[in-house]
Amino acid sequence: MTIRNKYAFAGVGLTRLGKVPEMTPDELATQAICLALEDAGLKKDEVDGYFYQPGIGGGLSDTMPLQMAGIQAPLVWQAPSLGSYALVMVAQAIGAMEAGLCRTCVLVHAASAASRRPVMSGPPGSGNTPGAYGWYGPGATAACMARRYQHLYGLTREQLGSVALTLREYSNRRPEAIMYEKKLTMDDYLNARMVIEPLCLYDFCLVNDGAAALVLTTAERTRAGRKRPVYVMGYGVDHSLREMGGAPEAIHHFDGFVTARAGEQAFRMAGVSLEDIDVAELYDAFTIFLLSQLESYGICKKGEAGDFVAAGNLRRDGRFPSNTSGTGLSWGYLMGFTQLTEGIRQMRGEGGDCQVEGAEVCLVTGLGGTVENGSAATCCILGK
Amino acid sequence: MAEYQKQLPAVTASNRPFWEAARRHELVVYRCAGCGACNTTGAGCTCDGPESAWVEARGRGQVFTFCVYRQAFHPAWQGDIPYNVAYVKLDEGPLLITNIVGCGNEDIYISMPVEVVFEDISGQISLPKFRPVKVIDG
Repeated sequence: MTIRNKYAFAGVGLTRLGKVPEMTPDELATQAICLALEDAGLKKDEVDGYFYQPGIGGGLSDTMPLQMAGIQAPLVWQAPSLGSYALVMVAQAIGAMEAGLCRTCVLVHAASAASRRPVMSGPPGSGNTPGAYGWYGPGATAACMARRYQHLYGLTREQLGSVALTLREYSNRRPEAIMYEKKLTMDDYLNARMVIEPLCLYDFCLVNDGAAALVLTTAERTRAGRKRPVYVMGYGVDHSLREMGGAPEAIHHFDGFVTARAGEQAFRMAGVSLEDIDVAELYDAFTIFLLSQLESYGICKKGEAGDFVAAGNLRRDGRFPSNTSGTGLSWGYLMGFTQLTEGIRQMRGEGGDCQVEGAEVCLVTGLGGTVENGSAATCCILGK
Repeated sequence: MAEYQKQLPAVTASNRPFWEAARRHELVVYRCAGCGACNTTGAGCTCDGPESAWVEARGRGQVFTFCVYRQAFHPAWQGDIPYNVAYVKLDEGPLLITNIVGCGNEDIYISMPVEVVFEDISGQISLPKFRPVKVIDG
């Protein structure tokens, strides 16, 4: 009994990305849900599972988008807002469907970070141990990773910049991307203001509003839908907790153990290997995350990811086409929904000017965590 | 004196001995009697060994990694820009989030030997921070 190819994505719904102050997060989510069902060719009364993730900025109020869309799903499940969780939601939804709790799930993420910019302002004297030292936001984790990587393997600003530029080139060709037609040069990158050294503005993902909804159902049901199904071939999850005591280097995937284990699980379930991957959508809240994952998934050897990206290998004509919409750094940041959305589109052949010709297997990843809780890595392999 | 605007450590039942020691300007770690693994949070050990206990630490370590904030993410830190936050790896093993003091941000480097100093921020709380050491004895 295998899960491989038993479930598939049937629909994708995406709102406008960027600054959308005229819509509440609930309205963005509602619109994404309706678009996803239309795309799938499924009716509202077929949806019986709802999995949602409030994004940066918050404001998503539980079942309100369901009510506004007129959907009466009995199963409602909220996921934490971490970068690893979109793919955990896939595992949760498939688990619920395997258990017979539901048959057609809608997975939703709504961000309102541009219109409801999150302010980190714990009141004076309130308890927050990292905050007591001025450690705020995941950018510090990424900056500490980059500094450590630089120390271990050498890392130039041009190499990090090549990640930002590669992704920007993709987004320049995608009309829905926030950075559509907005060029970025290496000079722009090198002269950008530092946010948390050694990372500058362009090492950080975008801050935007927007929502995405994905319809995940049984492979059988997708065959009656409007679009070609995109199968879930395998997935894997792991957490760095076991390293936090013994090998602290692994906290925040400094050495990538976590990512490697999530990948092993996913590839085993999918019955494919790295050589079978035609296109990848790697989690990119920060430029350094991409380098880290290229190495921990075994795409590059340790210390070689900077050169690998600078040589153009992530481009559409490169050895490992990746992040083909421009993803979190240049398309729009909807946590892991950014990568899943583009992965599904690539498998459908809907990548527009960024479509990887003949792509049949896609690697999608997630990465998240907090200082206190360690890091989590997730991996999913999609097939057409 | 103006009210302290920054946040404070989250003191809980598990980590209270760490912060009570810090108030006395002592650095302690929670050491597993079975395998010797240490942490600073009071978390249980993964080895299923006998009970852990708080023991005095040497107060020395090395900078594991660090970053420098050029933008304040919390209003109380605006006046400190640019400031560093570092992970220091204690000789006993655990990583601690802290600040490096006593040198410029540009002088910090990974593997820099450091020693603990305590900053009294209220009557109840002292923050362990770390400064460079020139010579490591022992």
